[in-house]
Amino acid sequence: MIFEAFLIALRSLNAHRVRTFLTALGILIGTAAVVVVVALGTGARTRIEAEVSNIGNNLLFIFSRSAARSGAKSIQMNLTDGDADAIRSEAGAVAQVAVWSQVKGRVHSELNSHRTSVMGIDDYYFDVRGFALKAGRKLSVGDARLKSKVLLIGKTVKEELFKDEAALGRYVRIGRHAFLVVGILKEKGRSSFEDQDDRILMPISTFRTRVSPTRGQRVQLIMASAKTRAHTQRAERQVEQILRQRHNSADDEPDDFRVRSQESFRKAQDEMLDLVTLVLTGAAAIALFVGGVGVMNIMLVSVAERTREIGLRMSVGARATEILMQFLIESLILTFLGGILGIALALSTAALLRAQLGWGLLLDPFAGVIALGTSLVIGVIFGALPAARAARLDPVEALNTR
Amino acid sequence: MPQKALLAPRSRSSSNAPALARLVEVKRHYVMGRDVVHALQGVSLEFFPGQLVGIVGSSGSGKSTMMNILGCLDRPSSGEYLLGEVEVGGLSTEERAIVRNRLLGFIFQGFHLLPRTTALENTELPLVYRGVSRKERRRMAIEALVRVGLGERLQHTPSELSGGQQQRVAIARALVTKAPLILADEPTGNLDSVTTYEVLALLQELVRDEGRTVLVVTHEPEVARCTDRIITVADGLLRSDIWNPEVTDARAAAIAAAEARSQETSS
Repeated sequence: MIFEAFLIALRSLNAHRVRTFLTALGILIGTAAVVVVVALGTGARTRIEAEVSNIGNNLLFIFSRSAARSGAKSIQMNLTDGDADAIRSEAGAVAQVAVWSQVKGRVHSELNSHRTSVMGIDDYYFDVRGFALKAGRKLSVGDARLKSKVLLIGKTVKEELFKDEAALGRYVRIGRHAFLVVGILKEKGRSSFEDQDDRILMPISTFRTRVSPTRGQRVQLIMASAKTRAHTQRAERQVEQILRQRHNSADDEPDDFRVRSQESFRKAQDEMLDLVTLVLTGAAAIALFVGGVGVMNIMLVSVAERTREIGLRMSVGARATEILMQFLIESLILTFLGGILGIALALSTAALLRAQLGWGLLLDPFAGVIALGTSLVIGVIFGALPAARAARLDPVEALNTR
Repeated sequence: MPQKALLAPRSRSSSNAPALARLVEVKRHYVMGRDVVHALQGVSLEFFPGQLVGIVGSSGSGKSTMMNILGCLDRPSSGEYLLGEVEVGGLSTEERAIVRNRLLGFIFQGFHLLPRTTALENTELPLVYRGVSRKERRRMAIEALVRVGLGERLQHTPSELSGGQQQRVAIARALVTKAPLILADEPTGNLDSVTTYEVLALLQELVRDEGRTVLVVTHEPEVARCTDRIITVADGLLRSDIWNPEVTDARAAAIAAAEARSQETSS
C-alpha cells in the first residue's frame, strides 16, 4: 500500500512539475544553507585546531603589560633574557623556554625590497616553533656571541627579494646594515593570522644591536611550553611567581607582565566560532522553516484541488489512513527532493568556496544525513496538517465539491 | 398511496432468497444551526439479488440521503441498515471503508474518473485499496472493461473518451470488485438519449446475467421505466414501491433513439 501511495504521490507531483520544483526550492535553499553553515563551522574549527597545534603544544605566552603611569600609557619591555633563564631553571612544570622580539620593516636585496617581519630569536626558538631548514645552516651560538650579521629567510621573503635566483650567500639590507643569508627555511604554510613563511630570523643579540636597539637584555616575548597539557596551570602559576619575584613587585602591585596559555587562545576562538556558527545556523534554520511552510501551503492547495478525487477514493474503499499516507508521502517526496538537491547545492558551493578561500569546508557526511533527515522531518511536520485535513474529509461532501 | 415495507416486492426469480440489503425504520436528521432537518423519517426497504431498482423523488425528498446511507457514506441517526447479515449502520469509519470496497460499487452523475489516468488504471482503483496484486488487478480490470465494451480503449484517458464511454469506465470500476450491490446516482444525468439507453442496457444486462442488484436514482421518467421496481420517495418517507408493469428494453430503445436521431439529422 505504501508503494501504491508512493506512485500516486509521484504522479500528482509530476502533473504539476513547476509547482513541485518551486516548492522543493524552498527546502533546497534551507537545507543547503544549513549544510554549508555547519561545514563552514567544522572547517574553520579544524583549521584553527591545526594552526594552534602547529604553533606548538601546551604553550604559555608571556608579554609585557603596558602599564599606565601618571596617565600616560607606555609600552614597556619588562622581560629579559634573565627572566627566561630563571623560568627555564626554576619552573618545574615548564619543559622549554624560548624568547624573541620582532619588528615589521622594509628589507632590501639587490633586486627588490619587501616589507616583512624581522625576528630576533634565541637558541631555543627555532626548535620550539618547529622550524626546519631547506638549505644552508642554522644560526649558531657563535653567531649570537659575535652578533654576526647573518639571517635566515622564509620562502615568501626569498621569492620577493630574489625571485627564482639563489639566495644563499647573498645580502639583505635592513636599515643601515647588510646581512648575509646563511639559510632558507622550509615552507610552513599560511595560518589565519599570518603567512608563516614571510619572515626573517636572526640572533636576538644581532637584532638588539643592529635592528631594534634596546637597553639591556630585553625581549618582547617569552614562550614557555608546559611539560604536558595537565601541567599548563601549574606552569602558569610558577611563571607568575618567578617573574613577580624577579621584578620586585610589591604584593599590592599588579603584574607588569601577562601570561596567556594556548588553551585560552583556543577557548576564546572556539567561543567566537560557536557564536558565529550558532547565529548562522539559526538563520539557515529559519530558511528551512520557511521552506517547510511553503510545503504546507502547497499541500493544502493540493488537498483542496483534489477534494473530489479524495471523495472518490474514499467511496471505492480508501481508508482514512490510506488517504493520510498518500498526502504525507507526497510532502515527504517534496522535501526529500529539496533535501537531496540542497545537499548537491551545498557540495558545489563548498567546492566553489574551497577554490576561492583556499581552505576547505568540511562537509561532514553525518551533517548531510542529518540535513536530509531534518528535511524529511519537516515533510512530516508540515505535511501532517494538510494530510490530516484530507483524511478527515466527509466522503459525501468531498464527492459533491464544485 | 404509501405502501408498507413488508409488502415490498421480492425478487421475481427467487422469492425465497434472503434480502441482500435491508433498511429498518431508518431515520436521518441533520442539525443545521438551530434547525433540525429530518431528511429521512423512518424508511424500511428490502433489496434482493437480481433487481434493477429505480429510486425517484424530487430534490429534497431524501433520496440522496437514502443513497448515501445505502452506500455506507453516511450513517443513519436511528434504525438499522443490514448488508447481508451484518448491521453496517453502526460500523466505524474504517470498517465502512472496507464495506464500500468489498460489497458496494458506485456510479456517479459526473463519472468521477481520475484525470490523466487511463481507463485501465481508473478501473483498477478499488482493487488497489483491496490490496490485489498488480498482475491480478490488471487482469480483472481488462475483464471488466471488455464487459462494458471498452476492450479497445484500455489506455485512453478520460479526456480522450466520450461522455458515454467515460460512464462505462465508471461502470467497469463498479463491476471490477464483483460487488453485489451497485449504487448509481443519476448515472445518465450528463448523457444524451442514445447513450442514456446504452448505459441502461448495460445495467439491465448486469442484473439479468450476473444477478447483481443495481439501484438507480433518477428524476427522468424514461430512465425509471427501464427499471424493474420503482421506489418513490417524498418528504423523507416512502411514497410508493411498485413493480414496473412494463419494463422498457433499453437495448431496443437505444437503437430506436439512434435511428430517430439519424433521421433528424438527415431531414
